Amino acid sequence: MIGDDVRIVVVAVDRDTVKLGIEAPRTIPVHRSEVYEEIQRTNRAAAGEPPPAKPAEGAKVVDLGKGRKPPAKH
Amino acid sequence: MTQTIVKATDREITLDLPRFGTCTYRESEVLTFPWGLPGFASLRRFIALNLAGQERFVWLQSLDDPAVALPTADPWQIFEDYAPQLPPYATSSLELQRPEDFATLCVVVVSPGAVEMTMNLLAPIVVNLRTRVARQVTLETGGYSVQEPIPRKAPAAAAGA
Repeated sequence: MIGDDVRIVVVAVDRDTVKLGIEAPRTIPVHRSEVYEEIQRTNRAAAGEPPPAKPAEGAKVVDLGKGRKPPAKH
Repeated sequence: MTQTIVKATDREITLDLPRFGTCTYRESEVLTFPWGLPGFASLRRFIALNLAGQERFVWLQSLDDPAVALPTADPWQIFEDYAPQLPPYATSSLELQRPEDFATLCVVVVSPGAVEMTMNLLAPIVVNLRTRVARQVTLETGGYSVQEPIPRKAPAAAAGA
């Protein structure tokens, strides 16, 4: 157990390999660190790029509520 | 008698940003990221900005570190079938109840020389429009990519929206 809510379980054993699983409440995000690290790298790469050109008139706040919504499912 | 609550403290603040020049925003327009962002865990306050003529990009400009701004875009402009299934911790921690409650933005990486662009469809940024609380959420289903190539002739890109 890790704390009161997270449990590490053995899913399978094969020769010299042990497969572990993580049981956690659905309120806690659980991700492999490789995925998290890739997202970190992508965010940093995205932030590292300057905009194509510094605009003369500056920048304006976006009303996110006016964005396109996901297509309605039928 | 109807009462209107006017927030007297919703003042306008003007900044001179290193990347975008002058920008004016109101306190009520600030987006809060209580969990920061992967790679920028300590940054909490952002505003969403457009540059004139580039309205398809939404720049998340950090107010805590003016040097940090992440380019994002509406994923459905390019990937019409995108169907992110938000995991339970995301909908509950952001207090989302209906689809109209939130906006979704995906981080875009532009390679040097603006030859190629990729979009992070695996971890969309979800913004509660009512509370202005936001989080970058890693999807657990759908098989989406962190670096999905953006086609050159994407529907909205060709229109130059």
